[in-house]
Amino acid sequence: MSIQKKIGVYIYENGKEGKGIIDCRAIAEYAKGLPQVDRVTLFSEPKKLNPLVLADEFKKAGLNRIVIAGESPGYFKPAFTRAMAEAGGDPEEVRIASFREHGVGLEGPTDRAKAVVACAVFGIPFGLAAVPGKVPVNPATLVIGGGVAGIQAALEIADAGYKVYLVERLGTIGGHMAMFDKTFPTLDCAACILTPKMVAVGQHPNIELMVLADVQDVTGRPGAYQVKVLKYTGRVDAKACVACNACAEACPVSVPSEFDVGIANRKAIYIPFPQAVPNTYIIDGANCTYVQSEGKKCGACMKKCAKDAIHFDTKDELVEFEVGNIIVATGYDTFDARRLERYNYGVLPNVLTSLEFERLTNASGPTGGKIVVKTKKLNKRTKTEEWVFDQENPKPKAVAIIHCVGSRDQNFNPYCSRVCCMYSLKFGHLVREKLPDAACYEYYIDMRAFGKGYEEFFERIKDEGVHVVRGRSAKVVAHGDRMMIRGEDIIHETLIELPVDMVLLAVGLQATADAERLANMLGIERVQDGWFSELEYNVEPTSTERGGIFVAGVCQGPKDIPDTVAQAAAVAAKVLKSIVSGSIQGSRHRLTLLDIEQRAMSLAV
Amino acid sequence: MAVRVNPKLIDELEYFGAQDVIKCYHCGNCSATCTHSDEVFVFPRRSMRYLQMGLKTKLETSIEPWLCYYCGQCSEQCPLGAEPGESMMSLRRWLISRYDFTGISRKFFKSTKLELLFVILIALLAGIGFLFYGFGHGDIHVYDGANAFLPSHFIHAFDLWLAAAMFLFLGMNIFRMWYFIMIKSGGVHIPWWLYIKKFYLLPWHFFTQKRYAECESKIKSKVFMPWLVHLGLMLGYVIMLVLVMIFLHRLQSGPEIDWSVHALAYLATVGLLIGTIYMVKGRIKKEQVQYQKSQGSDWIFLVLLMIIVVTGVFQHICHRLGMEMIANITYVIHLMAVVPWLLRMPFTKWAHMLYRPLAMYFAGIRKNALVLEKEGAPISQPIRQAA
Repeated sequence: MSIQKKIGVYIYENGKEGKGIIDCRAIAEYAKGLPQVDRVTLFSEPKKLNPLVLADEFKKAGLNRIVIAGESPGYFKPAFTRAMAEAGGDPEEVRIASFREHGVGLEGPTDRAKAVVACAVFGIPFGLAAVPGKVPVNPATLVIGGGVAGIQAALEIADAGYKVYLVERLGTIGGHMAMFDKTFPTLDCAACILTPKMVAVGQHPNIELMVLADVQDVTGRPGAYQVKVLKYTGRVDAKACVACNACAEACPVSVPSEFDVGIANRKAIYIPFPQAVPNTYIIDGANCTYVQSEGKKCGACMKKCAKDAIHFDTKDELVEFEVGNIIVATGYDTFDARRLERYNYGVLPNVLTSLEFERLTNASGPTGGKIVVKTKKLNKRTKTEEWVFDQENPKPKAVAIIHCVGSRDQNFNPYCSRVCCMYSLKFGHLVREKLPDAACYEYYIDMRAFGKGYEEFFERIKDEGVHVVRGRSAKVVAHGDRMMIRGEDIIHETLIELPVDMVLLAVGLQATADAERLANMLGIERVQDGWFSELEYNVEPTSTERGGIFVAGVCQGPKDIPDTVAQAAAVAAKVLKSIVSGSIQGSRHRLTLLDIEQRAMSLAV
Repeated sequence: MAVRVNPKLIDELEYFGAQDVIKCYHCGNCSATCTHSDEVFVFPRRSMRYLQMGLKTKLETSIEPWLCYYCGQCSEQCPLGAEPGESMMSLRRWLISRYDFTGISRKFFKSTKLELLFVILIALLAGIGFLFYGFGHGDIHVYDGANAFLPSHFIHAFDLWLAAAMFLFLGMNIFRMWYFIMIKSGGVHIPWWLYIKKFYLLPWHFFTQKRYAECESKIKSKVFMPWLVHLGLMLGYVIMLVLVMIFLHRLQSGPEIDWSVHALAYLATVGLLIGTIYMVKGRIKKEQVQYQKSQGSDWIFLVLLMIIVVTGVFQHICHRLGMEMIANITYVIHLMAVVPWLLRMPFTKWAHMLYRPLAMYFAGIRKNALVLEKEGAPISQPIRQAA
């Protein structure tokens, strides 16, 4: 400092600072100890601030820098600036130390407040001094979630030559994308794009894939997070299993398949789908007769297995390892259409959600990709009638697609789920392509064809003979063997009631059920809608508040596949930057008072 | 015809209760969920659109607000909380003010204080008048017969004059309603004989309120109470009005009870009492959507009705018990409530008792006229054939 400073610190004490957590007297004591501080005044009655009196004070003491500290002291700045001008000083030298602005109230509030005051005393903006230092980084990375985002990020990092732990909750990676039939707007086969990537993950020497696994705990600091992962046992030896399917043929238990979203059944020993990675059978303990009876009944699969791969005695395993960075790519859940009673989902058999239709129209689905309606069949084992899909079932003559189910609705999810319009248009295309004789109606509110080639896709769908009706349908009711869908065509201002055979609900996306647990475990924030918060909306869309933890894909907010893949690759770049440079930006809230003070002092000199 | 836009209309409707119209993004859910909405009269979304755009003429000549009975389903399902049901209610209030050529109605809806002042002023004037007459011509200790405080022949004559005044205003309002809906709205040629052919709709809807019962399917309760109670209240009111207007001397002669009129009168009283209590309870508890946003005018209606029913019952009992002075005092209070009640009718929501069945009647005519115009073609054609 070229000119010797004489500094006056004024601390506004309103008794409410950080709900009483901030000790203003301790801050005053601390401020007195700072270099060049001449006097520290606590004040609590802002109305009594008289610029002329203050000016007198400044003049007498010869103060040439004033620091006003408090919850939001900017409020008092005009009085002090005027006083400074009256006293003949430089009004620029009235500095603000705002506790609220600099996040006092988080960890160690009084210490943070002291640091804010110190920075103001040194005349250094808080943000300049409170930069987290670099810490060494462990080159291993944890990716939570094995959907397309997790796969992409894992491959990018692993291809660069670094270790990746990929943790997936289900028995196979692939996520929702593996369930899809086609992607919009290019109408590529989703599996054809994704399965090569899945196989690459499965075979990659740098990727340690953990399916049926759950992250239990994360501790440590950026660059060195200690992770505990619980690996549930699938009871089948992955190395021995050759996926011959003999076990599943022998298994007498039949339960709804998760991969086929319940429209088809699987056995208690199963492989989620033929192209699953890892390509290993899994025993679902909750439904397995042998596991439930503790080895007293069944065991048919064990007897059939030629490779002796089935070991009922394997136990869940807790693994611990250290990583430098964590990528959260947990994706989404779809909106539960049962909550909207007017569409009678779950009551009328041929009201389907979008995922159910994806499986129905998928060549690997229960009907081999044929679009048919559900019919009643007698289940021989339970002696009850069930609504099932079968290749021989009749084809629908008219299909209605209802957009915005659960989205853009204050009673449910107020936000736009962003992908539903486009996948609904894709459904329209698939219906017209596979059933040229069937009519297809899209009930929409606003058409959000926002991406590259999307508007053109919309035009193409219209050309293909899909009837696009502006107006959300209000109800679906039974109408003889068929269904009646009632809605208003807003452009023609008429009510339309159409008999249809199949209704597809374009359900929106929402945060996963365990997003809250994950956010608490990782110490990252969520927005009101439930999605994980990015650090900055525009320029840091992949980072979180915590250093070394990143978000990719829909778990950060609804987005389509291209955007998800782009974000995943961007995250990989961030992670690789920290690995290659050998250090990582720490977390700001871990900085100590001394760190900030020293940095501010060094900047001031 | 070019359509004039009034951008301030939406602000004006706020006085009548429509607060959230601007939120509507036209998904059409409300129109599709409404049981009363059909091929010709699609609502409430269309009215919401007219409101947002400020199409005053279109709204003024529209019949749709009267076809809504406010079951509240549209508001419950609205994804944006735009309250289409409440908007229809406000439009009905606004239409009442539009039908009223004097402008009094509009002032009442805009200011509850003014309406209250009017009611109190009329009540006081009436009270003073009746006391003056009573003390001048009779004895406060005598309820009926010779030398009665308020003899039935005087009240009867007074009632008739009051009714005449009321029906004069109401008649003119109804004429304006007819002009707006049937002439000014245009669009379709209406042959005169349709008025005769469809006339049955008027008494049918007046006495059954059938359309209100149709809202029943929307609500899960086994007995759709609002409809039943509303019907009871309305019929009770009509019966009482007829009895008082025509058979007042038989109602008032005592002390023995003349069952030929009193049987009906008791029945009507039960209807009125249950209806009033149900509505007051609903508006206090605010459990049903349609009762959540009461205006001052609604409360004046209910409080006056409550006073009328209670004092009516009380003076009747006192008279039969021989407490003639108390009966006379209660009777004066009763009349103090009745006079403003009847006088404010053409200007307030109460008038919907006549406007509603009239609207059904007009709607029936218009629909029939449209069918004729299409030369017998059914109105309900599927607009899109399966491709």
